[in-house]
Amino acid sequence: MTLEKESIGSDRLAAMFTQHEVERFLYDEAALLDEKRFSEWLDLFAEDAHYFMPLRRTRSRRELGQEFTQPGEMAWFDDPKFVLAGRVAKLASGTAWAEDPPSRTRHIVTNVRVLADDGTELQIESNFHLYRTRLKSEEQSWIGKRQDVLRRVDGGFQIAKRTILIEQTVLLTANLSTFF
Amino acid sequence: MERGEIDRRIFSDPDIFEQEMEQIFGRAWLFLCHESQLKKAGDFFESVMGRDNVLVVRQKDGGLKALLNTCMHRGNAVCRAEEGNTKNFMCTYHGWTYDISGKLIGVPGLKDLYRGDLDMSQHGLREVAQLDSYKGFVFATMDPSAPPLVDYLGATGRLGLDLIDVRGDMEVVPGIQKFMVECNWKFTVDNLFDWYHPMVTHMSAFASGILGPPPGVPVPPPPPPLDSGGAMTPDGDELELMGQGQREAITVLGEYGHAISGPVASGSPDPFGPMWRANPVAQEVLGPIGIEIGGHPNIFPTAWVAVTCQISLRIPRGPFQTEVWWFTFIDKNMPPELRQIALFQANHAFGPAGLLEQEDGENWSQSTKQSVGFSSSKIKQLLKMNLGRGKVIKEHGLSRIDGSTNEHGQLWTYAAWAKYMSGASWDEIRQATTAGDTF
Repeated sequence: MTLEKESIGSDRLAAMFTQHEVERFLYDEAALLDEKRFSEWLDLFAEDAHYFMPLRRTRSRRELGQEFTQPGEMAWFDDPKFVLAGRVAKLASGTAWAEDPPSRTRHIVTNVRVLADDGTELQIESNFHLYRTRLKSEEQSWIGKRQDVLRRVDGGFQIAKRTILIEQTVLLTANLSTFF
Repeated sequence: MERGEIDRRIFSDPDIFEQEMEQIFGRAWLFLCHESQLKKAGDFFESVMGRDNVLVVRQKDGGLKALLNTCMHRGNAVCRAEEGNTKNFMCTYHGWTYDISGKLIGVPGLKDLYRGDLDMSQHGLREVAQLDSYKGFVFATMDPSAPPLVDYLGATGRLGLDLIDVRGDMEVVPGIQKFMVECNWKFTVDNLFDWYHPMVTHMSAFASGILGPPPGVPVPPPPPPLDSGGAMTPDGDELELMGQGQREAITVLGEYGHAISGPVASGSPDPFGPMWRANPVAQEVLGPIGIEIGGHPNIFPTAWVAVTCQISLRIPRGPFQTEVWWFTFIDKNMPPELRQIALFQANHAFGPAGLLEQEDGENWSQSTKQSVGFSSSKIKQLLKMNLGRGKVIKEHGLSRIDGSTNEHGQLWTYAAWAKYMSGASWDEIRQATTAGDTF
């Protein structure tokens, strides 16, 4: 099969463009986090945003439907925007000792998929690897999947919802003082 | 101990850790879970006693069993999920199958290979030595000679659990936060009594502006600021402190090593305190001293009852590793808007992403790491605050010290720890952990 340039329909070109836009947004977002530009990062979130990382439990295959906790139950993060703002204020306070000296982080965002696009909001999935080192020798790493709802505003995007599904059940780190 | 000094080697010595596994975690009653987590027959929750994994299982008759999660054949775990519901436990090594009471009911090749020689009645899953519940809080011990749970808890331990139970028809919110801290477990226990550290350790959490009472609940006036005592920032500015160090405090010293320490009710950070403390039933159950408790009980050795209506279990995994579990309790009948606020508090104060506990793990792991050096291990750990000034008042079955923030709770816990570690009998432990007139 050969793919002629002329045979690419406008809908496919539009999908490619959307894919490109979304990837660029997510990569720029990751750069803000790794550069510790947290207040600019916060501005990417819609006022009604929900930032949610449920707990995950080791369940048997036949009960896998109950692997993750749900909203209204316990979670690692269950944050409306004002809580994210509080976390950013905490980091900016100069007294967030768990981040002083600051962690060194690298957000690797991959496998970006546009699952749905109704013109206003897009359902996005991506995989992440958040690598963190602290102090002289601490090394931590979290891998998982993010499910984002991106909202089109002013020619760009806002994060209206982020659900972070982490692979660990018992969290193998003492804290989550970084963002995903 | 009289000098308020502790040998730092107890935080790092592997031989001491082994001795703790035997003398403390092999003997004491340990918190496993809450009955509300096990609603119907076959519901199970895996908990930990020392290094034994224990399956707490709801039985068909409504009772509970606590079974060692190890096959009687070759030791494999018979259950690999943290929680769930099951009709039986089948070992995936050779297929030995146990019913939910632990009885061995199936052995592949029983006739063809064992030729009827295996007495199945002798090979049921091993049970803990004693299992009991106090108001739904499930505990077990590996020591058949341990005193009954209600006696082990005593007035202090029971009060600690009552401080959760009196708040309503309590159940565990789904989702036990579990995370690992590279520290010795005793730092995590020591810290729960420590109302001296929040003003510095948690300075940034207060700066976040998120933690506070729900709407309509009055905010207690801030206490007068504590003297900085010369404490300064790296830039040389005087450290600005919040007034918590001056809190009016109550410390309760309980038999078998339980203790409660922290502010009086009016100074407690518990945002729901004014609501549930107004309930006459709560006042009746807790008594005149109990209703005034605004601090933190610890059920010796490792179950901390937090003011956020949570139990934090600190599970030693090795001299340098501790797993922390958070169980969150809520009144089943709480109106949805209040439930939301209670969950919000629980999700945002403690746990690894909690605005408070983010900083705690760092303190504990660094304290542990600095306790191993050739020279630094020889420096004594200091617990001298209010030392020798504590006058013990014995009323309503409790031994308490009234005063300001202190380090009596920690010291009491270490004293009990030392007694258990000496291999003392239960009678000797009880006598040694019965408060005198001063502490």
